[in-house]
Amino acid sequence: MKEIDKLPVRNRKGREFIEKVGSGGLALTSIIGLVFLLILVYQIAKPTIIDGEEGEIVAATEFLPISDYILKWDNPSVDEDGNLISEPIILQLAWDDENGSYEHEIEITVIPQRNVKENIQLNENGVDTNEVTVGKKTKFYIYSTLSTPVSVHQISGPTPAANETGYPQVNTFVIQSDVSTVFSNGISIEEAIAVMSWSFLMVMILVYVFPNEKIIQSISSTSKNHQIIRWLSLAPFLFFILNEITVIRFFIVLNCFIGLRMLANLSEGIFRLSNQMMPLNDKILLKHSIVNRDGLMLWARLFFLVSTFFIPLSVHIPFLTERYQDIFQPYSSGIRSAFYGTFWVMGIAMFMAIPISIGAAIYLEEYAKPTRLTKLIQALITNLAGVPSIVFGLFGLAIFVREGGFGLGFGPSIFAAGLTMGVMAMPIIVLAAQEALRSVPRSIRESAYGIGCTRWQVTKDHVLPSAMPGMMTGTILAMSRIVGEAAPLLVVGAFGAVLFDPEPFAALTDGNINFTVIPIQIYAWTAEPGHEWHAMAAAASIALIAVMISMNSIAIILREYYRRRLNS
Amino acid sequence: MVPKIQFEDKAHIFLFVSGLSVIFITIGIIETLLGESVEFFQEVAVSRGWFGFDIEFKGLVSQYGMASGVFLLCYASMVLVRKTPHLSTKIPQAMVLLSPKAVFALYFVAFTLFIYFDNVLLGISMFCLIFTWKFIADVSFDDDFVQQKIGLQKTLFALGIASFSLAITTNYSGALGEFFFQSQWTPTGSCADRRSLCDNMSFGINSLLFTTIQVAFGALLIAVPIGVGCAIFLSEYAQPRLVAVVKPTLEILAGIPSVVYGFFAFIYIGPIVVEFGEYAFTQGWIDEPPNILNPINGAIVVGIMILPLIASMSEDALRAVPNELREGSLALGATKIETTVFVMIQAALSGIIASIILALSRAVGETMAVTLAVGTVAVFTTNMFLPAQTMTAYIAQKVSGDLSYGDIGYLTIFAAGLYLFIITLSLNLLGNKILTNFREEY
Repeated sequence: MKEIDKLPVRNRKGREFIEKVGSGGLALTSIIGLVFLLILVYQIAKPTIIDGEEGEIVAATEFLPISDYILKWDNPSVDEDGNLISEPIILQLAWDDENGSYEHEIEITVIPQRNVKENIQLNENGVDTNEVTVGKKTKFYIYSTLSTPVSVHQISGPTPAANETGYPQVNTFVIQSDVSTVFSNGISIEEAIAVMSWSFLMVMILVYVFPNEKIIQSISSTSKNHQIIRWLSLAPFLFFILNEITVIRFFIVLNCFIGLRMLANLSEGIFRLSNQMMPLNDKILLKHSIVNRDGLMLWARLFFLVSTFFIPLSVHIPFLTERYQDIFQPYSSGIRSAFYGTFWVMGIAMFMAIPISIGAAIYLEEYAKPTRLTKLIQALITNLAGVPSIVFGLFGLAIFVREGGFGLGFGPSIFAAGLTMGVMAMPIIVLAAQEALRSVPRSIRESAYGIGCTRWQVTKDHVLPSAMPGMMTGTILAMSRIVGEAAPLLVVGAFGAVLFDPEPFAALTDGNINFTVIPIQIYAWTAEPGHEWHAMAAAASIALIAVMISMNSIAIILREYYRRRLNS
Repeated sequence: MVPKIQFEDKAHIFLFVSGLSVIFITIGIIETLLGESVEFFQEVAVSRGWFGFDIEFKGLVSQYGMASGVFLLCYASMVLVRKTPHLSTKIPQAMVLLSPKAVFALYFVAFTLFIYFDNVLLGISMFCLIFTWKFIADVSFDDDFVQQKIGLQKTLFALGIASFSLAITTNYSGALGEFFFQSQWTPTGSCADRRSLCDNMSFGINSLLFTTIQVAFGALLIAVPIGVGCAIFLSEYAQPRLVAVVKPTLEILAGIPSVVYGFFAFIYIGPIVVEFGEYAFTQGWIDEPPNILNPINGAIVVGIMILPLIASMSEDALRAVPNELREGSLALGATKIETTVFVMIQAALSGIIASIILALSRAVGETMAVTLAVGTVAVFTTNMFLPAQTMTAYIAQKVSGDLSYGDIGYLTIFAAGLYLFIITLSLNLLGNKILTNFREEY
């Protein structure tokens, strides 16, 4: 019996089945990877959209110790055994309107059951109820459709007491309404619509000025309906019938009107061209086929310019412009101080890491002979890049933060954090810069040596300029990687609740050294119990990812710029 | 011996010093961790001595004893069969040739014991039993086979002795023995002075280490099939247009910060895992009701985190395989899936294994996601639906509280950090060595 006869006989069907199942399974695995990402994006976006629309108000004016205050507020009239306390709670709502000032009293009864709640609605006519029944450990919300802030005082009922550590006892607490964005029908947000109409007009102007082939093709498939779009452009004026006219609404309506009018004329022109079998990619032909192109462009540019000053600058986004307020004001807190903290930490890290690590890369690639020392440095760089980030944090804690021993004693400040992050970024930047230097062709070096340059002249004048795009890209990518690192900063001592903008060199000038960064803020907000804070953490995550993506795109733009300059 | 360096110009000096700074940083990290850890061990050793262990023969009836019995049985039977091959022919064939169903059942039992980490030794011993059985069956049909498998025999003997000594020495004490062999981690005991050392404190790192291993290997369980499958699909099957979509997606996944993944686990994965846990609790599979923070949660999210690393590195390894191998296999009549499994994966195996090892190192060192997902209870449980704590999460939790330099709590984070550093550094060295030394040159 020969060897080949021992082999099992394979049937065709089985092989085909295995082929199909195997490749199907492989496709499935990569689809699962994509689905993970989609769920992630969806989940990050979801809580922000749903909860951000409602004006939930659970707030106090002062920063208070969190745990005690929440307990008292959650069961204000129930003692520890669950029995009711006789004294009722009365809240006094007060606000100023154009017609005068209003005051209103609401009596709150707390019952031992959970999840019983009635929300209070406020509008121009006043408050809808005088009595509210709320369950134990249940938060209720005051929805306001007024444009002015509402102040709320507790005038009777049990007050939050002070604890043993001597935090202040609070007799009144004010609930500030900063929510004026909800329409009277409570469905949509005006400012979001305003920004959308503004960006719609911007897109239309861009399409008119730079007609992209793909966009023109996609419009041409529906260009038969240009008559419908023309009628639809009158629809925004219905908005005036439903609501009274304000400046922002005026610009919303006219932006939408002009934008839709431009779309209609554009699709009419495309329709005419395609009926005459003309090529769509001829830009001059397209320009001449649009009816009243110049007039529309004039009005569009005018309204775009004016509404730029009214709409994007008038939208108040507390999330970006405010600092962390306190535990009761999730929606009026923001990431301003965290953003400044990130900026300073990254700045100090870059200032420290870039010269040293690019110097090390140049030494290893251009100068060093393959001695044992060089090999050791190379191996250390490769392995340091894989060391967990928290170990770098411990290094920073012992060297930069701590005083005594080997410590330099900067304290838990931005300076120490920046130095730690710089040390962490070093191996990554060295590896990227080495890669860039290695990709410089040998002929450049040899021709420079050939005409008698010294080694430093070759490096400075010939190798570095052509390695520059790669080095810059690598550096910025490394920075965008460590922007998201929270662990070393947690060890160095970043706080979750910082009530002021950080001072970068406070460690050297004996200032206030507390600071926070965006990842730490996300961590602190995720660890909070309330769902509102989780929405804030999601929004901060999106802001962090936006910072990283913008850094990456800066890297790409720089690379392109240098590449073009080198080629020319 | 200091190597002599001749400086060519002034720039050379600066560049040389900046090159040396890498060495300074490494020495700084090691010195910091080592110095504080030595101080920690010294402080514990002052009250408890350095090392000691008690011998108790009661441990022989535990799982360690059983595992050591199985190992030594396997070793003895292998030796017996090697010495006298004729003996195996006397065994009835029905006993030697296990039916496939029985083998499958045994594998299942071993795997179950392996997953419930408490019985890991017993699980390995079951695997060894199956291998020994197969060896005896091979010997009974083929006498030449006896010369092989000496390595397995030696390993069995070593494992048997090791588990036997584990079984009889149940109580290690002293600073080193407590840290490396006990598994109760209470660095803040109920002492009068919380800052200093007292007898109620216990520093057994194993409860943290086992949870770390649970999370890291659970993550590999998720990430390796999907990641390697994704890599194979991208390099062998996918259209270029699809690759242009999936590759950036993987890069975005790799770029998302770990704290965002932690948020994702806390908000989204936790409740789903708890639903499964509730079902298991009503069925009576687990003793206690599940918590929203648990190692399964952490394993899933860390698995998602290391997926892009495995996928991109494995894809690079697969793309480095020359096209001649693929075309040769196809020309011999193999189908595409046969080419992939028997040729491409074999050729790129070193790269794939290196990617898995580096991903394991990343999973062990992952901090923020694990801190948010796994919890803060430093107790090791086999019930993976209960909260636990990994080594990195312990450090993160300890430093976010009040921390005064020089007390025992401050020193513990450096001891845990040193252990973590050694684990990840050795994994990185192994992965890089595989990547450079075992790469097949074509």
